[in-house]
Amino acid sequence: MAGFRLPPNSRIRKGLTHRATPGAGEVRAVRIYRFDPTSGQNPRLDTFELDVKGCGPMVLDALIHIKAAVDSSLTFRRSCREGICGSCAMNINGVNRLACTTAMQDLSGAIRIYPLPHMSVVKDLVPDLTDFYAQYASVKPWLQARTPAPPDRERLQSKEEQERIDRPAACILCACCSTACPSYWWNSDRFLGPAALLAAYRWIVDSRDEATGERLDELQDPFRLYRCHTIMNCTDACPKDLNPAKAIAEIKKLLVERQC
Amino acid sequence: MSLRSPLGRVLGTGSAKEGVQHWWLQRLTSLALVPLSIWFVVSLLSLPSFDHAIVAAWMSQSWTALLLVLFVVVGAWHSQLGVRVVVEDYVHATGVRTLTLVVVTFAHALLAAAGVFAILKVAFGSAA
Repeated sequence: MAGFRLPPNSRIRKGLTHRATPGAGEVRAVRIYRFDPTSGQNPRLDTFELDVKGCGPMVLDALIHIKAAVDSSLTFRRSCREGICGSCAMNINGVNRLACTTAMQDLSGAIRIYPLPHMSVVKDLVPDLTDFYAQYASVKPWLQARTPAPPDRERLQSKEEQERIDRPAACILCACCSTACPSYWWNSDRFLGPAALLAAYRWIVDSRDEATGERLDELQDPFRLYRCHTIMNCTDACPKDLNPAKAIAEIKKLLVERQC
Repeated sequence: MSLRSPLGRVLGTGSAKEGVQHWWLQRLTSLALVPLSIWFVVSLLSLPSFDHAIVAAWMSQSWTALLLVLFVVVGAWHSQLGVRVVVEDYVHATGVRTLTLVVVTFAHALLAAAGVFAILKVAFGSAA
């Protein structure tokens, strides 16, 4: 059954406070979820008093500054720092977003940073995305066609055909959408989640793909697809302004249309 | 602990290749319930009073009885489809889930049958 409280070993206790150095300019409190699996202790919420003038403008800059100057054990994923790799997705002030594209001045009050919700935590802000990636792999996110490609050039698409996959193909697999979805929280073992379904849609509407029917067959399932109840947290959360909720609705529409 | 691969876990027992019918019926029944619910509320409110004789006389009219039967059957059907989704969402143990779904289906069938029976009984006058 879905639970109302966190399991006892996941409940967050009060953490350490790292004071700002005297004479610091503009100080902001950054509260960060900390969890070390080797400590045997429950997660805790540490407070870092940050001199905002001393680091860059984004939340990721604050994290990098804290790791470099205050606590080197702080663990998080990051790579491109420009919103294209999807590594630094985390829950910032209650919203799933990328730390690198979230400016601190757009956040009010203390900055609260947690890992993506309802995932197993590897350490601090690093969630275990193993199943998330397996769900992506399960929709066979590659071109399947029986017609061989022309020997002398690529498989062609019209401009309109390309536009159908243009937005869905811009997904960076950051997992902000899936981990914002209540249906995914309760049934992530069987529901594929918005990210994998958006990827499936991207191949279903690809004019070059010839496995559309098989793809729809694989999705037609009370759990894999129909756990989606159009809550639309996914679309709200997407840092790339994509629309997984609409893609899922389009898949449901195609499933009805092929039997009417 | 399982050493099965993550992809193996996700693929599980495969697609049920079912679900579109449930989804479509849920939409159809909700569509049908829009006019039926409006008709039900408006007709009830336009009765001069809720005295037994007046309501019974209203229910004995052919159109009223017909639409009431539709309202009860479609309403129970829609409710069964919806409650099924709620159970699938929140009840995770397979055995308990299956048992709950059986109970929910039987309860809705019973409610629908009882509703239709009551309407017909009043409509054909034996309860008046």
